[in-house]
Amino acid sequence: MTDIALKLFDNMYYLVSMVLFIIGFHTMLTHSNLIKKVIGMNVMDTAVFLFFVSTGYVAGGVAPIIEPGVEQTYINPLPTALILTGIVVAVSVTAFALALIVKLYHHYGTIDAEEIMRIRSTE
Amino acid sequence: MTTAMNIIQGHSPALIVVTFLLFSYLMPVLDSWKKNWCATLAIAAHVLALFFTGILAWQVFTTGTVTYHMGNWPPPWGIEFVIDYLAIFMLTTITVVSLLILIFATKDLGHELKAQVSSWYYTLYLLLVGAMIGLAITNDFFNMFVFMEIAAISACGIIAIKEDKECVEASFKYLILSAVGTGCVLLSVAMLYMVTGHLNFTFAAEALVPALELYPNNILVALALFSAGFIVKAALFPLHVWLPDAHSSAPSPSSAILSGLVIKIYAYAYLKLLLKVFPGDIFSMVPIYDMILILASLSIFFGSLFAIVQEDIKRMLAFSSIAQIGYVFLGIGLANQAGLTGGILHIFNHALMKAMLFLSAGAIIYCTGIRNIDQLKGIGAKMPLVMGVFAVGAMSMVGIPTTNGFISKLYLALGTLDAGKPFYLGVILVSSFLNVIYYFPIVINAFFGEPGEEPENDIPVKKLPLEMSIPLVILAAGILFFGIFPRHMLILVERAVAIF
Repeated sequence: MTDIALKLFDNMYYLVSMVLFIIGFHTMLTHSNLIKKVIGMNVMDTAVFLFFVSTGYVAGGVAPIIEPGVEQTYINPLPTALILTGIVVAVSVTAFALALIVKLYHHYGTIDAEEIMRIRSTE
Repeated sequence: MTTAMNIIQGHSPALIVVTFLLFSYLMPVLDSWKKNWCATLAIAAHVLALFFTGILAWQVFTTGTVTYHMGNWPPPWGIEFVIDYLAIFMLTTITVVSLLILIFATKDLGHELKAQVSSWYYTLYLLLVGAMIGLAITNDFFNMFVFMEIAAISACGIIAIKEDKECVEASFKYLILSAVGTGCVLLSVAMLYMVTGHLNFTFAAEALVPALELYPNNILVALALFSAGFIVKAALFPLHVWLPDAHSSAPSPSSAILSGLVIKIYAYAYLKLLLKVFPGDIFSMVPIYDMILILASLSIFFGSLFAIVQEDIKRMLAFSSIAQIGYVFLGIGLANQAGLTGGILHIFNHALMKAMLFLSAGAIIYCTGIRNIDQLKGIGAKMPLVMGVFAVGAMSMVGIPTTNGFISKLYLALGTLDAGKPFYLGVILVSSFLNVIYYFPIVINAFFGEPGEEPENDIPVKKLPLEMSIPLVILAAGILFFGIFPRHMLILVERAVAIF
């Protein structure tokens, strides 16, 4: 039992990112409020980013800025660089989603997905 | 002059993507200056892309697979583009079909969109095509993710650009579900990167063979997430919920490109990952091909069933797309020579058919404003050309010999027999009958139905502009040509399949 707990503690970043992923996924698919859906999407994306960045982490490592004559462990900078792109992508998707929500509010007068479904079915 | 030729020859894989990106960002600039140039320039971008595709095809046919290193960084570090026969097949399909849709769009957009957004439409359209081309030739996981997101946002853009109630809602639904899809894909890329340390497909595939012994769970989860992500994007049956709204409410050219090309590019990317990246041993650990076969059959069956009960013609075509993407996945799931040939060939054939059917539906809406299937009675007499090509498309969907739909269904049927799974032959046959049920009444009613006495039958029919009828005729001619002389496309597809 303590064995498993210790292993989970060692891989805490992975554990936390999985929990976050599930929270985001759940929020995104079950909440009917469109803003909450977008927030869920962001939580999910953040979880993936955390997971990706932590794959490059080396315990005790520092940022790979090489100083001559100093022996150090460096972290893997590649995932960090990739996730920078990932964050930009997530921001633009969020912006676009929010713009669509503004349009939806203009058309339907609500940001509740179930309400919108009800309005559409009565039309 | 020779240096220019050398640059074009050496860099055409990058140039083909750059062309689309460059022209797409030129559009907003031209919008305020020379508005009427936009359509011409968008067509020019496609012609340039066709030229680069031609050069690449020539290089692949003479010297074999072409690889291109972005910024001259060799692969494990840099981004690599790989153009093999399969990529050439995809490039040809994308550029040719999207050029024809674009020619149709130049006239149709004025009718469907507000005047001030029509040049923005070309921006989104070219971005979408560029992203699809990037997806087709990239050999790098993260590059694939970026192109997927570009394609997703621009696809949502060309749905929402009409700005009416249905479009915005459909676009939002698509955006959320495709965010789920790309989220899953990025997570599985992270899982694979964890155990292999590579983002390049080729290097990752090599590293995955020993990694499968050490970390089987990691790779299985990655496979599951990839499958979930790509199945959402390609709209296979249980995860298809976004497709009918999105494809039916969008402007007709958008529907044509979304149904004809966009959902297929994800099926193609999935196929490439399954066959090129994941080690063969993983398929003995988890019956992924059987799962794909079951999902594909459900997709074929339910897509057709839902299509039968639709009243709106574009909605019916959208459900039919769900059934047809099932054929492509059926080919992937069979995973033998004939099955894969049929599945891959169906990507091209269905792109021709569905683009044509959506465009002819668009032409009907343009000329008469009718969307409802019941009101189409007797329309064949008023619009013989449009309903004529629609009839060709309908026959191809059913799979009548001399149309290209027959060829891909034939190869899929041979594939089911080779794999020893005759049950799926039954699925193909039943679905052909279902296709008859929902396509033929439209054609028969249009030509032989007596128009009712309702006042809406007297609405004046607008004349179809030449720009809209030419793509329809070319696509219909393509359907018949590749149905009667399938050899040309089959050579390409068979060479593409031979590398697996």
